[in-house]
Amino acid sequence: MRRIRRRSGSAGRLVLLASVVFLAGACGGEGGAGEDGLEVVPIGFAGPLSGGAAYYGRNVLRGLQMASDEIAESGGFMVDGRAHRFEIVTADDRYLPYETSTAARRLLQQNQPAVILVPHAGGIRALQEINLREPKFLLLAYSSEPSILEAQNPLMVMLPPRFDGYQEPFIDVLMPRFGNRLALLGTTTAYGRAWTESVTAEWTSRGGTVGRDHGVDYNTTTDFTGAVSRALADNPDVLFIGGPSQPTALVIRAAREQGFGGGFLIMDQAKFMEMLDIVSMEALEGAVGVYPQSLYPTEGTPGWVARYHERFGQDFQVPTSEVAINYQGLHLVARAMELAGTTTDPEAIRARIGEAARTMPDELRIFDMGGVTDAGHLTRAVFAAHVLNGEFIAVPIPVPASTQLR
Amino acid sequence: MTLFAQQFVNGIALGSVYALVALGLTLVYGVLKVPNFAHGALYMAGAYVVYVMLTAVGGSYALAIAVAVVVIAVMGAAMEFVVFRRLEGKSSVHAMIAALGVLFFLEGTADVIWGPDFRPVPTPLDGVVTAFGINITEQRILVIVAAIVAMAGLYFLLKRTLVGMSIEAMAQDREGALLVGIDTRRVALITFAISGALAAIAGALIAPLVLVFPTMGAVIILKAFVIVILGGMGSVPGAILGGYLLALAETMAGTYVAFAFSELIAFALLVLVLVFRPTGLFQKGV
Repeated sequence: MRRIRRRSGSAGRLVLLASVVFLAGACGGEGGAGEDGLEVVPIGFAGPLSGGAAYYGRNVLRGLQMASDEIAESGGFMVDGRAHRFEIVTADDRYLPYETSTAARRLLQQNQPAVILVPHAGGIRALQEINLREPKFLLLAYSSEPSILEAQNPLMVMLPPRFDGYQEPFIDVLMPRFGNRLALLGTTTAYGRAWTESVTAEWTSRGGTVGRDHGVDYNTTTDFTGAVSRALADNPDVLFIGGPSQPTALVIRAAREQGFGGGFLIMDQAKFMEMLDIVSMEALEGAVGVYPQSLYPTEGTPGWVARYHERFGQDFQVPTSEVAINYQGLHLVARAMELAGTTTDPEAIRARIGEAARTMPDELRIFDMGGVTDAGHLTRAVFAAHVLNGEFIAVPIPVPASTQLR
Repeated sequence: MTLFAQQFVNGIALGSVYALVALGLTLVYGVLKVPNFAHGALYMAGAYVVYVMLTAVGGSYALAIAVAVVVIAVMGAAMEFVVFRRLEGKSSVHAMIAALGVLFFLEGTADVIWGPDFRPVPTPLDGVVTAFGINITEQRILVIVAAIVAMAGLYFLLKRTLVGMSIEAMAQDREGALLVGIDTRRVALITFAISGALAAIAGALIAPLVLVFPTMGAVIILKAFVIVILGGMGSVPGAILGGYLLALAETMAGTYVAFAFSELIAFALLVLVLVFRPTGLFQKGV
C-alpha cells in the first residue's frame, strides 16, 4: 500500500512538472509571435493592484490596456519591417515604494520589458537608481510630483503635468472671487502634504491668510464632519481640499451641509466627474480643480471618449486623466519604438519620445504635447476648470518658463 | 462654545457607530474568547447589502436595514458553524489567524463582486437640522437614535430573555454553563448571529454617510479592538462607553490639537490603558 502510494506520488509530481514546463512554454511570449502573428513586446506595470490604492492602480492599467488593445486591433506597429503588439505584464507593489523595486525586478526577470510604468512618486524614486543599471529600462513616471525630475534621470519620462503649476492659476481665480482667508483640509498623504505646503506658500505670498492645517487622511477617515466643522470655525472664504475623488466629494457635502458658501481649491488628485456621482453641480459652485478629462478641449478627446465607452460600456464611469494620460503614454511608446526602429533599446526609445509626441496623429492625440524636457518631463497644454454658474470654465495653465524642450 | 457643541454632536454620532461595532466584537470575545477580526468584514458586508438594496433592488431604507440585519446575522452564524466551531479547544492563536483569514477572504470576495471602487449610497435622509448654531444632518440623528435603540434591545435580550441569560452564563463560565444544561454550541451560534446583526446595523446606518468599499471594515475593526481593550475585553457597558469615549477623544483632539493627530489618539489611548490598567477601564462582566 505504501509503495503504491509513493509511486503515485512521484507520478503526480511528474505530471505537475510537465504542466509547469508546459505553462512556462505557453507564457513565454517574449520576443515571439502571438496567435495573431504580431510580435509581442512586454510592457511592465509596477503599481498598486490590491489594498487601498487598487482602484487607482486599475484605472491606470485600464488606460494602458485600452491603448494596447487598440494597437493590436489596428494591426500593430511596425519595427524592422515586422508588426508588433504590446502585452501588459503587471506586478503588484501595494503602493509601497520598497515593494516597487521588488516588483520591477520580478518583471525584469520574468518578462524582460524595456519599458516599465510606475504610478506613484515613491516607487518612481526607488526605480531611478535601478533603471540605469543592466538590464536598463525606460521608466514611465505617472506622478505629478516635480521632485522626481530632480534626479535628471536620462531614462525616465514623466507623463502628467507637474502639480506645482496648478496653485498660481487656481488662486488667481479664487482669491478675487471669494476673499483671502484660506482653510487647509487636504489629505495627509506625502503628496497631499506637498500640495498643502505649496498652496500655503503661494496663498500667503499674495497677502492672503492661511489657517492651521486641519488635514486628515482621506483614505482612513470614516467621518469628515468633525474636521470640516473645525476648519469652518475659522470662517474661511476658500477651503483647500482634496484626496481621492469620492472622499473629497464627501468633504464638499459636509461643508455645504454645515452652511459653507465659499469656494473650493481642489487638489489635482480629485476629479470633478467622479465627484459628481456624490454631489450636485450646485454644491461644486465656486470650485477650481483640474479640467474634466472627458471634456478636455482638444481634437482627439471626443473620439477617445467614444472609444472608451465602446470598450468599457456606457455606465462604466467616466474616463479620468489616470486613464487618458497612461493611454497617451503607451501610444507615445509605440510611436517612439517605430521611430527608433527598436523595441528593446530603452535609450534609443527615450531619444524619440519627444518626436513621437509632436508627430502623434490627431485621432490619437488627447493632449497638445510639445516634447520632452532634458529632465524628462513631457510638456503639454494644461487646463484647470472653474465652476461658474453651473458650468466648467477652462482656465489655461502656463508652462513653467524654465522648461527646455529637446 | 458653538464649536465645542458642534464637535460634541459630531463625536456622539461617530461614537454610536464605533460602539455598535465594538459591542458585537466584545460579545463574541466574552463568550467564545475569539478575537474576531472578521467582524470588520461583517460591518462592510452590512454596508454593501444596504448599497445593493438601495441602488439595485429598490425599496425603503428601513427595509434595507432589516434585510442587512437578517443577511449578516446568518453570515455571522455561518462563520461560527464553518470556521470557529472547528477550532474549539485549540489555542486562541488558531482562532485569531482564522479570523484574519475570514476577513481577507470576505474583503477579497467584495473586491471581486463590486471592485475596489468607493461606492456612494444614496442618502434617504438628506435634510439638515440647525439648532443653537449647530448643524446636524437627519441621517446622523437617525444614527444616534437607532444606535441607542439597538443597545437597549441588546440589554433587554441579555437581561430578560433565556437566550440572553445563557449567553451571560457562558461568558462567565463555559463549563459551568455546560453543567447546568446549556447547549453551548447553540449559544455560540446565536452569539455570532447577534454580533453579526449589530455589525450590520452599524454598517447600514453609516453607509449613506460614508463610502462603501471592500476594506472599509479593516479601518474600523482596529478602532473597535482599541475600544474593547479600553472598556475591558468582554464587557458590554465598556464597549458602549469606550465607543463614545474614543470618538469624542478623536474629535476633540482634532479640534483643539490637530486633526492629523486624531488617528493617533486611538492607539495612544490603547498604549496608555495597556500600561496603566491592562484589564480595561471597566470591570469585566457581560
